[in-house]
Amino acid sequence: MSLALSTQLICFLLLSGALLLGALGVVLLPNVVYSAFLLGGVLLSMAGLYLLLNASFVAAAQVLVYVGAVNVLILFAIMLVNKRQPLRPMRVLLLRRLLSVGVCLGLLALLVQVALTTPWDLPGPPSIGEAAITRIGEHFFTDYLLPFEVASVLLLMAMIGAIVLARRDVLARDVVTGAPADQALLERQRPPLLPSQDGSSPSAPSP
Amino acid sequence: MFVLDGYDALLGFLLIAAAVPALALVTNQLIGPRRRQGERTTTYESGMEPQGGAWIQFNIRYYMFALVFVVFDVETVFLYPWAVAFHRLGLLAFVEALIFIAILVVALAYAWRKGALEWS
Repeated sequence: MSLALSTQLICFLLLSGALLLGALGVVLLPNVVYSAFLLGGVLLSMAGLYLLLNASFVAAAQVLVYVGAVNVLILFAIMLVNKRQPLRPMRVLLLRRLLSVGVCLGLLALLVQVALTTPWDLPGPPSIGEAAITRIGEHFFTDYLLPFEVASVLLLMAMIGAIVLARRDVLARDVVTGAPADQALLERQRPPLLPSQDGSSPSAPSP
Repeated sequence: MFVLDGYDALLGFLLIAAAVPALALVTNQLIGPRRRQGERTTTYESGMEPQGGAWIQFNIRYYMFALVFVVFDVETVFLYPWAVAFHRLGLLAFVEALIFIAILVVALAYAWRKGALEWS
């Protein structure tokens, strides 16, 4: 076994171990904030696996989009609703667990079936590094041109939808507090970020 | 097939970056004073007195900025292959990328108009 192969194997084992442990931690840890941070670690090790597969652009996109943006979004969503409230024991817990086991096993079977039936041979020589990015760019502007342009419309829709939803949240809170609801999203005077010492002050934004 | 050349610098960077916090903590343990009482036990916050708990709800404004950031992050990922393959693609691809950017400028203008980019 050559040096490069053993290095690849060691890197693969380390990344897989980190990925599996992190994924288990995401599912099993009781604190959801720790789960969200571990999810970032899982996504980072996935980017490392992409690097091992010579897919540097996919790895960069993974870090940029999933670790840098989506995971931060998840963290903010958790920290927005991070209320200390006593959790009631769930009813029909056994049934729920059985149902989720069934869904997970079905998903696993589907993935295994896809992995077995996919033809993994690449047409032509595989392009690596900058050549791969050039090839992606050429595909974007030839046969995948319409999805590329539609993606921008999708992003536009996502932005407008997010802003509209967030604005409705502000309006709803105004209705609850009885204050006059203004249309501007963020120009309203807001309470300070740090709540006062008792923790139940009205400065904490309700979800 | 395995290449990964050009990542030696990244490996060295990762090793040094992992060593920095470990070295800081170990040095602290070795040569720091041992007394742990009073203000020593409080959280260090850049010299300010820590106020309140760390497990607080965050302001919803951070969420708005993160939402807007995701959109432009994905736009960057889409535009990067175009920038790399720019010389091979020609004028048509330039016009198409301009259309792509123009549609997202509409999104930026919407966010700007609705005040999603303002903090105060």
